Amino acid sequence: METKEKSEKFIVPIGPQHPALKEPGHFEFTVDGEVVTGASVRLGYVHRGIEKGAEDRNWTQDIYLVERVCGICSHIHATALALGVEKMAGVTAPARAQAIRSLIGEMERLHSHLLWLGVIAHEGGFDTLFMYSWRDRETVMDLLEQVTGNRVNYSANVLGGVKIDISSAQSDAIRRGVDFLESRTQHYLNIVTQDEVFLARTRGVGTMTKDQALLFGAVGPTARASGLEMDIRVDAPYAAYDQFKVNRVTDTHGDLEGRFIVRVKELFESYRLIREILDHLPEGELTVRVPRKIPAGEVISRVEAPRGELFYFLKSNGGDKPDRMKIRTPSLCNWASVMQLAVGHKLADMPMMLAGIDPCFSCNDRVMTIRRDHSRQTWSWEDLRRYSLEYYR
Amino acid sequence: MQEPTRMQDMEAPLAELTDRFEWRDDNRLDVFITSDRLLPAVEVLFAHHWVYLTAITGFDSPAAEGSEAEGMIELLYHFCSGASILTLRLSLPYSNLVVPSVCHLIPPATLYERELIEMLGVEIPGTTSTDRLLLPDDWPVGVYPMRKTFKGL
Repeated sequence: METKEKSEKFIVPIGPQHPALKEPGHFEFTVDGEVVTGASVRLGYVHRGIEKGAEDRNWTQDIYLVERVCGICSHIHATALALGVEKMAGVTAPARAQAIRSLIGEMERLHSHLLWLGVIAHEGGFDTLFMYSWRDRETVMDLLEQVTGNRVNYSANVLGGVKIDISSAQSDAIRRGVDFLESRTQHYLNIVTQDEVFLARTRGVGTMTKDQALLFGAVGPTARASGLEMDIRVDAPYAAYDQFKVNRVTDTHGDLEGRFIVRVKELFESYRLIREILDHLPEGELTVRVPRKIPAGEVISRVEAPRGELFYFLKSNGGDKPDRMKIRTPSLCNWASVMQLAVGHKLADMPMMLAGIDPCFSCNDRVMTIRRDHSRQTWSWEDLRRYSLEYYR
Repeated sequence: MQEPTRMQDMEAPLAELTDRFEWRDDNRLDVFITSDRLLPAVEVLFAHHWVYLTAITGFDSPAAEGSEAEGMIELLYHFCSGASILTLRLSLPYSNLVVPSVCHLIPPATLYERELIEMLGVEIPGTTSTDRLLLPDDWPVGVYPMRKTFKGL
């Protein structure tokens, strides 16, 4: 996406290796001295063909596949798919399963927002905050591992419900973890709103008005920091959010400071939700039966991922595989806002502005081509599998 | 910024541009249009403050085997407001895969349009950029991975 012409200007290429954060993307900033006058983006460095791959796998296999769309918000992808498939099949997961989906979803939001806090503190040169927030994040990572067995790709969802239950011991552990994190988060809120040095990097940087947020199609915390009232958990409650109501967190700053405030305050909201869900966890079954073949139809499933609205379009032809699975991840929407807002800012602000939308590059895919000894070979799934078995033998 | 018109009240202003509405759910309305009506339809939506283009879904529906009919690429422009999803829906025959760009009205649509160009081979005159967005630089020209006929390079 381009803004303004690029001819006869000095272009600073950033990426594709680790531009600002440890994921691949390529940006070209046209600069006039220190000031950015144009920006363009090239994605696709981690495009893995998941949408195409989904068409060759059955609905159950796709649950595991979509968890690999994003390593940070894997649970929410599986939730969106499971809810969509259940809707097409005409079944509803039991209340306890829906509550556990929301519970894991909020725990995932905790670790995602804390991860972002660390990353962007690092971009701002505030490595102490980075280390502390990531140390604290281990609390929720450990809890997720305790509950689901995994630190990432929790695999809690199945079609028709969830495969994990929450025991009273786990419930107590989660409460203790949340209490600890809540006290830490209060400290972080003080830092991001009061530390003069840090505010110099965030206040008034990348300011986006409410109308701009709407025009550029921003979603999630990025949009809410500009006062746009959108949160799928509130607008179109899914899983257990109609029972456990969410208070939408918005801010009017519209700049990086606003994005800090919104995400940190959302942590408090997630702590409250987690406690409420644990207090009122419905009793009952964890799964209902979902047929292997899903009736023909089309369904749209929208959920609130940590980065904003996640959109799934699912189409079934009546078989056991999807005919089309379209995924639109929130980061894709937020790129437009960064590229537009970059103009007029100093080049030195770019890393923080890029990281400010909490971008997640693993949105879409490419083929795996391995170059070794100047020769080139394309490995199929079977080749990779054989290689991995040999490797670990 | 004004609140968008309720979706239930959107049938009347769009009636001239379409011959078919389909309610797929309480909160989902599909509006069937032709490609020359896309821009007028988007303008009508804008006039009623439906400005948030959530996504453009494109999918290939090839003709059934042995059928005389031509294969189609279907494009779905999803506009959202709260829980409501209004979809402008159009089918392009393989022989004329051209649709106008909506980028001048909706700047972020460029990413979705570039995806359609690369993945399905839709031609979109007027779009802001046709540079490769997702596929590798050395991907062969004229190979569209989201077509049903694509089974690997």
